[in-house]
Amino acid sequence: MTALDNYVAPTSLEQAVVQLQELGEVTILAGGTDLMPQSHAGRVKFKRTLMNIRRIPELRGIVREGDEIRIGALVTISEMMAHPLVREHLPLLVSAGDHFASDQIRNAGTVGGNICNASPAGDTLVPLMVLGAHVELASKPDDTLFRRSMPLPEFFVGPGKTRLAPAELLTAVRLPIPPKGFVARFHKFGTRPALDISAISIGVAGVLKDGTFSQVRVAFGAVAPTPVCGCATEEALEGKKLDAATIAAAARAAQDEVHPISDVRASAWYRKEMIHNMTKRILEDVSANH
Amino acid sequence: MPETIQRDSLIGKRITKLDAPEKAGGKTRYIQDLDVQGQLYGKILRSARVHAKIKSIDTSAAKALPGVHAVITAADVPYQRPIGVAKDHFPLKTDRVRSLRDEIAAVAAETEAIAEAALKLIKVEYEDLPVLADPNDSLKPDAPLIHPEPHGATAKHDHLKQAQGIAYLGKPDNIAMTFDYQQGDVAAGERESDVVFEDTFHLHYVTHCCMGVSGIIAEFDPSGNLLMYSNTQVPFLHKREFAEILNMDPARIRIIQPPIGGGFGSKLDIYPFEPITVFLAKATGRPVKLVFTREEEFLASPTRQPVILTLRSGCKKDGTLTFRTVRTLHDNGAYTSWGATTPFVMMQTISSLYRVPHCLYHTKAVYTNNPYAGSFRGYGNLQATFAVEQHMDMMAEAIGMDPLEFRLKNAQDPGEVTPQGMHFKSCGFKECLTTAAEASGFLAKFKANEADKAKPGRFKRGVGMASMLHVGGGAKIYPSDGCGTILKMDDFGSVTLITGASEIGQGSETVLAQLVCEELGVPLSAVRVINNDTEITPWDVGVHASRTTFIAGNSAIGAARKARGKILDAAAKMAGLNAADLDLRAGHIVEAKNGTVVMTLAKLLRQLHFSDKAELVVTSFYYEPPSKHQDKHFKGDVSAAYAWATQVVEVEVDTDTGIVRLLKVTGAHDVGRILNRLGLEGQIEGGIVMGQGYALTEELMVENGVVRNPGFRDYKLVTAPEIPEMDVRFIETMDGEGPQGAKGVGEAPAICIAAATANAIYNATGVRIMALPFTPEKVYRALHAAKKEAA
Repeated sequence: MTALDNYVAPTSLEQAVVQLQELGEVTILAGGTDLMPQSHAGRVKFKRTLMNIRRIPELRGIVREGDEIRIGALVTISEMMAHPLVREHLPLLVSAGDHFASDQIRNAGTVGGNICNASPAGDTLVPLMVLGAHVELASKPDDTLFRRSMPLPEFFVGPGKTRLAPAELLTAVRLPIPPKGFVARFHKFGTRPALDISAISIGVAGVLKDGTFSQVRVAFGAVAPTPVCGCATEEALEGKKLDAATIAAAARAAQDEVHPISDVRASAWYRKEMIHNMTKRILEDVSANH
Repeated sequence: MPETIQRDSLIGKRITKLDAPEKAGGKTRYIQDLDVQGQLYGKILRSARVHAKIKSIDTSAAKALPGVHAVITAADVPYQRPIGVAKDHFPLKTDRVRSLRDEIAAVAAETEAIAEAALKLIKVEYEDLPVLADPNDSLKPDAPLIHPEPHGATAKHDHLKQAQGIAYLGKPDNIAMTFDYQQGDVAAGERESDVVFEDTFHLHYVTHCCMGVSGIIAEFDPSGNLLMYSNTQVPFLHKREFAEILNMDPARIRIIQPPIGGGFGSKLDIYPFEPITVFLAKATGRPVKLVFTREEEFLASPTRQPVILTLRSGCKKDGTLTFRTVRTLHDNGAYTSWGATTPFVMMQTISSLYRVPHCLYHTKAVYTNNPYAGSFRGYGNLQATFAVEQHMDMMAEAIGMDPLEFRLKNAQDPGEVTPQGMHFKSCGFKECLTTAAEASGFLAKFKANEADKAKPGRFKRGVGMASMLHVGGGAKIYPSDGCGTILKMDDFGSVTLITGASEIGQGSETVLAQLVCEELGVPLSAVRVINNDTEITPWDVGVHASRTTFIAGNSAIGAARKARGKILDAAAKMAGLNAADLDLRAGHIVEAKNGTVVMTLAKLLRQLHFSDKAELVVTSFYYEPPSKHQDKHFKGDVSAAYAWATQVVEVEVDTDTGIVRLLKVTGAHDVGRILNRLGLEGQIEGGIVMGQGYALTEELMVENGVVRNPGFRDYKLVTAPEIPEMDVRFIETMDGEGPQGAKGVGEAPAICIAAATANAIYNATGVRIMALPFTPEKVYRALHAAKKEAA
């Protein structure tokens, strides 16, 4: 039996970070779509206190702030997909959401939860990375509310592990509004079209102008302990014309730079093959449609 | 009251299942929803080792936990007897564990959470033994024995001498069961052959994935009578078997079946959790409920039989089949359940789906430390058909004949008695072949795909066909295959049909009610079906072998005809007419020739009620027609009728990923006669999807005895967007013995899909894959290897 000593449900960010500071050992509940099955399966152990953050208004909503869009940690995948700002500026998140679990899970699961769960196969992580996301973190070590921000790729340490400090809360994710000529693609490769954990995933983004690809960002999911940047692939693409030779070189670079493991979903060999084939397919699609 | 009523029939109509409103409305009370006053919750401690000796079990801390009422191990139930098809399996393990699912101890407690916590307090010391994870290793001369004679057997297990179980006697080798069959002379057949193929096919583990997980409630009354709420498919056989295992008088055992959330064969055997729950009820004097978690369902319920099958077959240039030689190795797992007997069914496909003069067949089921296989819809036939139907395509190609013509040349005809002794009284096989081929445009697509195969392009289309033969008129497996019926009519013209046949979701209630309506001319709403209590219903052999419509249907018709005779006699007397000139229609007695209403059925029944001949309860029974049972060489007939089908599968193969998409399945099924068209469509569509899962996505991954994917996240059932378009055609051969001409169909639709898909992938890509399932990675690897070879 898991006996919780304590349950708290703060109603403001201020209250939440104070309680985090005071209580120390806390398990955070947002959408619960990862926490509940993982604790049932014994993969996650509840800490002494369960904190329900669902009543904190500051963690909700999607707004534009200057050249950025801020998505609150409690925004559900469904809300994100339906929001006009996201649909206008970040359509990649809408198409990524379309491959995210099932409607029921999208209605409950949150963007913040997907990030903090830090699964190498987390479905929003690769798209957020190629969109240049930063996470916004808050804590109250002393009398003043302390906020910090970091690029999403730096946030991940390992499967289920992040740089979130024990008394810290992820409050939002911020994304720059993409420049003109920006193109982005996300491909989740699983063995079936619905309700699947990806065997691999690939995100590619950049600015395409006069056939030349620049400001390229590439990220891969499910090929390492965390979602990872595809630096060698980026290099193979940066400033190049998206012709057959560039695409072939980039696909090879992608295949060479990932070091996946073999598990029940796929072998390492097959994952590398799919990274190659799918990177090629994405780039051909970009080249053909712009 | 209407003046005239014309004859109407429900046969062949689309009838909503009787239990559909309840199920669709979420009101059905499954075992999970049942609670008995004063019940405790049972939980089982399973082995932490794949193969080990049990050195010691310490239950003291678990027993001391507040809320725990009993903690039992084998030592607490010295009276337990081995269960299973070969009686090689103690419910609670005595001196050793042979697989990870093995039951070591069990707890009954106030709540599930307490029971769960108590399990964690039980300490078990093991001494590891070498693991046998590959059936080939089990046959090596120096292989460790999975069932050695128990140490100190004579003294410790004295009471088991009568049981003759191998748990008592031990086994000198790892061979659990063998089947050998021969017809003609395969060497002679091979000499006549122009083309010979030999290949080895690998069939994998899958499991039933019933929506309702396993569960039971067991309760003793103060007089010592045992009541079980159980999901079994075979209540009457189990009543007897439980009595044996528990050393009880069978008359004191009652089984009530709550609505069952799927069976598919999985509930055809007794599993350790059932007697263990009874032991807990006995130990505590309280009702005990034990329901599996989904993970437990994956780990500790039976699987489909995995098989390594080597097939050698030949034909002449003109397309005549000459011989087949088959050797199989069945991975029996640690204990013997029905999976070991699947060769009995596989044999029928190998010897008799097509005309083959010479056959030789040897199968071995060998013990390993893997999960053990049970019975599963199709019962070995998916495995045999996978091999046979791929070789059919290979031979056709080798002699330059198209797959349809080759099959038609060798297909069975009505009236045929095969060398094995099966008598096909009705047989629509050739019609199935031509109907499925024409409806799908098979030949044109087959040739077009073949021409496109070598062209560049990522997506390749393929079409493949496979056919099947399966029992459709009961199965002569037990000494008798029968079912009893009690039919009761009340004062208002309502009928209660009390049948031995269980409903496990297949729709038998509805079909049986329809058959009664047909005889008694009452609307479907006037029929109630009672079918779930051994204390009330007459005997039946159980739900298996696609037999219920055929056997229980004929039994229900028998009872309804008796009642009809009584009613018409009484009406004739009352109205001064001839019984032969009367008919029953829409709840009325009418004149047969013009439909003129004589009186309402309700009125007649009420008048009978006050007469001295008020026999409004009739009984009947049906046994399969007498014929020669198989002899010990497996020669003879196994069913009163046989079902046939051909399925054509169209696929798209993504050569970049290996993903195979099923685009369309066209099926032609010889069902004898359509009774409930809607129910039949449901059975066939469900079976096709089950076959699709077997072919493409489902695999219970077992590595060194450990199940690696015990959950729906990584055990991949087919999801809605993957389900193909289906075009299902029915061939009505009007079987002479079938109820209204019908034959069984429950298992048939799942059987061909994997074989047809294999043939379709070959048609699309030129690559033949002989191991299941066709996961993207497996297909991609095969395409990759072929590309390398070509280069």
